[in-house]
Amino acid sequence: MKRREFIKKATLTTAGAFVAPYILPSGRLFAPSGSQIAPHVVLVMYAGGIRNQETVDQLYLSQSQHTWNPIPALNVTGNIMPNMLTGAAPASKIVYGTGISGNTPIPPILSTSLQSQGVLFKEVNAVAPGHYGGSIGLLQGNTNLAQPLLDRPQTPTIFEFLRKHGGYKATDTWFLGNSLGNSVPLYNHSDDPDYGAKFGANMFIPGVTFGSQGDQFLKNAKVYHPQNELSPMYKMKYFLDNSYESLTQNNVLDVVGNTEAEKAKIKAFMKSMFLKKQAGAVLQPPVSGGDGTTIGYACEVMQEFNPALTVVKIDGPDTCHSNFTGYLRAIHQADHAVGFLWDYIQNQIPAMAGNTIIIATPDQGRNLNPNPILDTENNFRAFDHSDANTRRVFTLMAGKSITNHPDKATGPISSSSPLNTDAAITIGHILGIESEMLTSGYLHGNSQSLIRKL
Amino acid sequence: MKLKQIAILSTVFFFTFSSCKKDTIDDKVFQVENVNLYSSASSKLKEKTESQWIAVVYTNLFQQALSASDIYRAGQCITSIGDKELAREVIISNFMNNTSPSPQIPSDIDMRSDIDKFVKDTYERFLIRRPTEGEKQYFRNEITNDPTRSAEIIYFSFALSNEYLFY
Repeated sequence: MKRREFIKKATLTTAGAFVAPYILPSGRLFAPSGSQIAPHVVLVMYAGGIRNQETVDQLYLSQSQHTWNPIPALNVTGNIMPNMLTGAAPASKIVYGTGISGNTPIPPILSTSLQSQGVLFKEVNAVAPGHYGGSIGLLQGNTNLAQPLLDRPQTPTIFEFLRKHGGYKATDTWFLGNSLGNSVPLYNHSDDPDYGAKFGANMFIPGVTFGSQGDQFLKNAKVYHPQNELSPMYKMKYFLDNSYESLTQNNVLDVVGNTEAEKAKIKAFMKSMFLKKQAGAVLQPPVSGGDGTTIGYACEVMQEFNPALTVVKIDGPDTCHSNFTGYLRAIHQADHAVGFLWDYIQNQIPAMAGNTIIIATPDQGRNLNPNPILDTENNFRAFDHSDANTRRVFTLMAGKSITNHPDKATGPISSSSPLNTDAAITIGHILGIESEMLTSGYLHGNSQSLIRKL
Repeated sequence: MKLKQIAILSTVFFFTFSSCKKDTIDDKVFQVENVNLYSSASSKLKEKTESQWIAVVYTNLFQQALSASDIYRAGQCITSIGDKELAREVIISNFMNNTSPSPQIPSDIDMRSDIDKFVKDTYERFLIRRPTEGEKQYFRNEITNDPTRSAEIIYFSFALSNEYLFY
């Protein structure tokens, strides 16, 4: 009997010794089934609603203003995104730059555009028009027409897929948002009971976290000794939590599951950001402000944490509801900021240089026809977003293993066009969890990794 | 027979109107009416909003109220950070570093001079209830067995606890 017990225990111990090293931080037993194409992905949600006419079609004013006001001076085409797209800049009527009347375009940062380095999917179907639906669609790989504003996404985001199925830790996934509006602070995880906060991403809305609110309530945080003070504090907190959770069901809280070590690293990062801000040394593109500031903080996060997935949401171009001139400038400055980000990764973050894939795609397009509002600077017509043209967007991809290809999906939008929500499965494919995502039942029925379309 | 009925009625009356009387503590900040203590943590089922948590933690630490605009701004800080627990931790650390006003925390000498009172007062202040025997014993051991355990760190753990997020 004793011998039998000994053999049983010895067998279990041996099996445990083999299995234990493969238990991932998420509690998952095995590593993801797919292999990584690259260890890092940056998704730029080039959001705010951008028409293909002013971006990939490079039509500048000719089909936005000249159509409605056919004077020769407005019949100008050209590329206003020199870091992302290949093409000559407009030759006249320059209003999208900086300086007096915006007549000075910002010099490109990248010597070769991302389009020339990688691949442009030119006509992509924005399956979920609307800022919130469109943006979280990029993260969910699907659309949910019943999704209310100011509610968490109802199905899992790419962050949760990665952390649950890929075993990525919390600081491997980051979301950087540009404001507290439009439900942006809800993007980092869904409410899905099988996924949710515990698989969510870390997030900053830098304009608030490191803005005047952060100066008042976060900047002066006391630094406690990790062993003598913080460790006992956490120990007593856990005692209180266990005591409470034994009495109630209230144990599912909105925490993304950073370990104590990860929390310490994030707190140190926040301290350093406040110091850098005080010294005027926070990274930012040469022409900054607005979306550029968010991109600058994204570079800081990538420098510190080398995340597997960094998602940056920008939306300056949405000023197009009433200010077309401002829209053109926002597109141009966002292109400048993306150029800065890519250049910074390649030259200043050794762990990510040559190892990263960038994907840039809008949440939605904008209307074909203008609304009645004229901007004050140039009397340009403004555009909202609700008609079929709103479905026309692009997806640009470059980086590790993405060799240059002629433009893809160049024909009109059809049922076989790529979806902008394919961004999610493409990220999953790059980071090794494609099959887990495809079999989850949560993705759009036509979802396919864009890399498989090359 | 009558005497027996009177005795039963008296017993029912006694338990009805005396045993259910709620324990209360003084409201030291607003001093309007006493605060009813929870009989147990199990009756706290509603989660505080970010603004409610900010308002309550500030009041508990400083024994004075935070302005409505500051409650809103501090709430925005929590909203802007993905890990809400980490956000709350940084906000508490920020409050602990305040000098004007300073958080109202008993000195370690006061805490150690009457540990049972400190534990009871801390539970009442943060969790609006009395500690169980097991909880009293746990914190008694924590304070007694470790001379470096400070009232500030204990307050911190209460303010960051999950129970403190519910009412």
